[in-house]
Amino acid sequence: MDTQKVDMFLMTNSKFFESHQLNMIRERLIVLDDSKWSMLSTIQFNDPTTSLIVSILAGSLGIDRFMIGDTGIGVGKLLTCGGFGIWTIIDWFMIQNATREKNMQKIQRFLY
Amino acid sequence: MPLDRKKLYSLLIISCLAGYIWLYYSIASTAKEGKTTYGCLLKNLANMPCPSCGSTRSIISLTKGNFDEAFGINPIGYIIALIMLVAPLWIIYDMIFKNNSLFKCYQIIERQLRKPKYAVPLIVLLIINWIWNISKGL
Repeated sequence: MDTQKVDMFLMTNSKFFESHQLNMIRERLIVLDDSKWSMLSTIQFNDPTTSLIVSILAGSLGIDRFMIGDTGIGVGKLLTCGGFGIWTIIDWFMIQNATREKNMQKIQRFLY
Repeated sequence: MPLDRKKLYSLLIISCLAGYIWLYYSIASTAKEGKTTYGCLLKNLANMPCPSCGSTRSIISLTKGNFDEAFGINPIGYIIALIMLVAPLWIIYDMIFKNNSLFKCYQIIERQLRKPKYAVPLIVLLIINWIWNISKGL
């Protein structure tokens, strides 16, 4: 794929991924076929900031986990009052990375 | 951090262990001081019960055999009691036979729960339960 296109994609979407993954994504995108570009540009990523806000407001109901697609963990958080409040507080710090990991899983389906 | 077999099992073991310790602690403190302690952040901060408040009391009355009372306090107690009973046994079974049936089952349930036909009724039930909790004044 065109280097310019790849750099543009990374510039607009860099906040959705972990910084150490960006280089790998760039390398994969450059060798990727051009026909996948339209698919790639339509993927909807979860915003880490949004999930952080949801986690602070409704984390004890597990809604942050439901939002990024961790339904099983969300149910666990919901049933235990957010893990007695401890898990809620831990997730305030973990949820952004968890969201980025989920985004990585999402894009990986297109990269290989 | 994709949830793999090892992570799921250790998460379940830790939460079941925490659950049993909490259950023992709350039974002991109720017997000693006569009042229940709340472990819920929302209850302590806003003085408003969350959807699963009262499940400890529900499980305690389940252990005494008062099934009707347990349902009256919070029906979610039944689900938690079931998970706490089944999960450790299932994990031990999986570890002995080097199997991953619990992990597969978890993934199937997760996939089914994402479908609107299961998700929407469950969310409605949960909200009804929440309103019931608030009106009961747990």
